Amino acid sequence: MRTATRTFLSVTVLLGALVPAACGDDTAAPAEGDGKTVTVYTGRHYGIEAVFDEFTAATGIKVRFTTGKDPELRERLVAEGANTPADVLMTADAANVELAAAAGVLARVVSDTLTSAIPAELRSPDGTWFALSRRARVIVSSTERVDSPPTTYAAVGDPAWKGKLCLRPSTHPYTQSLVASLIAAEGEAAAEAMVSSWVDNDPLFIDSDTDIYKAIAAGECDVAIANTYYLGRLQTEDPAFPVAITWPEQDGRGAHVNVSTAGITTNAPNPTGALTLLEWLATDGQKTFSDANFEYPADPAVQPTEVVAAWGPFKGDTAVIVRLGEFQPAAVALLSRVGYE
Amino acid sequence: MIAWRPGRGPGWALLVVVSVVMTAPVAVIVWSIADPSTEVWRELWQTRLPGMLVDTVTLVTIVVTGAVVVGTGLAWLVSAYEFRGRRLLSWLLMTPIAIPGYVLGFVWLDTLQSPLGARAVRSIWLCAAVLIVSLYPYVYVFAWSAFREQSPRTVDVARTLGRSSFTAWWRVVVPMARPSIAAGAALVAMEVLTDVGTVRLFNVSTVADGVLRVWFGTGDRDAAAELAVVLVVAAMSLILVERALRGRARYTQSGVRGGSVARPVTGLRTVVVNVAGWGVLFIAVAVPVVRLARWALRAQQLGQTQSISGDLGFHVVSSLKVAGLATIACLVIGTTMVFIARERGRWGAALGRLASLGYAVPGPVVAIGVVVALAAVDRRGWWPGEVLLVGSLAGLVYAMVVRFLAVAHQGIGASVGKVSPSAVASARTLGAGRLRVATRVELPLARAGIIAAATLVAIDSLKELPVTLLLRPFGVEPLPVWVWQATSESLWVQASVPSLMIVAIGMPLVAALLWSVERGAEVVS
Repeated sequence: MRTATRTFLSVTVLLGALVPAACGDDTAAPAEGDGKTVTVYTGRHYGIEAVFDEFTAATGIKVRFTTGKDPELRERLVAEGANTPADVLMTADAANVELAAAAGVLARVVSDTLTSAIPAELRSPDGTWFALSRRARVIVSSTERVDSPPTTYAAVGDPAWKGKLCLRPSTHPYTQSLVASLIAAEGEAAAEAMVSSWVDNDPLFIDSDTDIYKAIAAGECDVAIANTYYLGRLQTEDPAFPVAITWPEQDGRGAHVNVSTAGITTNAPNPTGALTLLEWLATDGQKTFSDANFEYPADPAVQPTEVVAAWGPFKGDTAVIVRLGEFQPAAVALLSRVGYE
Repeated sequence: MIAWRPGRGPGWALLVVVSVVMTAPVAVIVWSIADPSTEVWRELWQTRLPGMLVDTVTLVTIVVTGAVVVGTGLAWLVSAYEFRGRRLLSWLLMTPIAIPGYVLGFVWLDTLQSPLGARAVRSIWLCAAVLIVSLYPYVYVFAWSAFREQSPRTVDVARTLGRSSFTAWWRVVVPMARPSIAAGAALVAMEVLTDVGTVRLFNVSTVADGVLRVWFGTGDRDAAAELAVVLVVAAMSLILVERALRGRARYTQSGVRGGSVARPVTGLRTVVVNVAGWGVLFIAVAVPVVRLARWALRAQQLGQTQSISGDLGFHVVSSLKVAGLATIACLVIGTTMVFIARERGRWGAALGRLASLGYAVPGPVVAIGVVVALAAVDRRGWWPGEVLLVGSLAGLVYAMVVRFLAVAHQGIGASVGKVSPSAVASARTLGAGRLRVATRVELPLARAGIIAAATLVAIDSLKELPVTLLLRPFGVEPLPVWVWQATSESLWVQASVPSLMIVAIGMPLVAALLWSVERGAEVVS
């Protein structure tokens, strides 16, 4: 019994000692604003450490980062306000970075390096964020069962694909921004009719682009809408993977394109280091950043990796990118109205 | 209770402060309901809300029923029958609690996808099945400890009176274990209501999923918070239902306690008993662990045994640090609250329950609530130097306590409540002060229950994802974060190593939990 008492008391004392230690831990971390370290909140985490290592090797500036979901990182930045340790916010989606900019957590950046490397359509007009890579959301189909795949997003709603269609659920930002681009291009009524016709085809909803590709290979569906870079990963493992890309809307506005972005936070402790990182990512780091995930570099002069280049050139709907955030709430409401999973 | 008048002021103050601190993150989110946006509600009601409510009610009903049947049934099998391997089985049946639901979900989704087809596998039924095998241990452990407490004589009497084994069980044993089973069922219901990982894998749209859908889709935190309030209300009603089911029931055992009611089984029944017990283990543990192990071997071949932040050792240290601190904090705060609240009648009990509110709210909502609350404190600059709570280890541990204090509070309250009043009275008569009685008599006697509560909190914090994801400090990357980084890209091979590690760390904790239950811990109030 004595032992139990002693245990309880020592646990209490230990806790008392640990609470300040737990706080103190944080101050022992690399000092903020010392100019040698850039702190990044990133919603993109695939292959990110290799890019940062290369940046550190090139500039001597260290990067510490925390990964998370785009909307949660945005909420955290808003809550932290002037106290944020973050210098840079990186997102995997244009709408989310727009919402962050609208919430006032991103600073306006003036940099000739950035504006000359990144085309005007791929950065916010007010300089709050810059795209670093492009990701196309296209029509994909089985090479074994489909001879003439749909060539427009509207054609995905053709009754010929009833029971043969795979789509990603509406909870995912990729679906939301695709529908936002449809609203921007065709107007709300036409977009609603189009998405309705997809739903009428009784699609199989799968919350993973990789699994969508695998479902086509397994014969679960013939046609789907998915991002191209997942095919890059699958083709690297198996060059004969039986799914092909069709670039949609090539006679019109082009395939839906979303972007990976970065912006400097309003209260960045190390804005100089942050700008160095952004400029490096937009120039010397472009290839590593995009290739790590089989994406298209934001700078059109930089070539994508071999697997990606083999899919050929395409026209992308880049004009709408800066407005995706504006149409996102309407897209979410539309998806609810038509009963999209 | 015993008649002495404690000094009331400081105790009340402490109780109120703890309750306020623990409720603050939920309160800042719920606050938005003060000005409800009717337009959002109308739209939700016309579109997704009815479906969400139907899915939520259906899922909770199936999972709770299934978990009660499986958990109680298995607890009965290993308590009532004697057969080869009974003891081993009775321990192993507790192990699924160490496997996070989001891990079990992706493993079974991938395993059944080829034979059943991608469409058939994404159903509310399979989602429910995965949740049942993942959550039945909550009912099992309560039922098992309740059955252990019952005197073998009760069953003997029933049987002497001409009842069959089953009738004796159904009419006598189960009703007496009802309070424990109801408590386990309430925990299961709470877990299902707040789950946001497993349901998404199976395309099931619950209200908790809807909160995130509204919030992250539109950035409309107010509308999401209003939806979250639906969950809080549902969880509170559940607690009330559970209390009603439990009633004022206090069953007294006649004669000797403990001992074994088990009698040998023979013939066909042996087969049935073994198939039921080992079959559940096969689904809940064997298949997932073998699958993960094979992926882990593949990860080894591909050289993918580390994450973007560090190697396995680094992640293990992070996990142990966070789960360890969270457990200690929950224990200390939980114990203090139990001792202060019990002398303060209904209001004290109510404050105690209020402090446990975080358990009834989905993890991501708690996480953002904690960030908002702590950031508000940080802006005041109440702390010396440049120390900030958001993004500190203390902030993360605080969030864990908000989420899991309920588990510690209930467990400790139950075991301290069981300490015989006469033992306390004797010590008082011999001149011991209240603190001395608490530390020398009550806590030691309640030791097993406290250890049980501690292991449950440790297992829960080890598996916790949403709070960890948003609040972890730089340089602290617990294992679930690594699992998430891999599974969000459907990279099962990369997710296997950290998933297996969570299970491996959880196993000794499960053993400690079982040890304490065998030592007489009742894990619930």
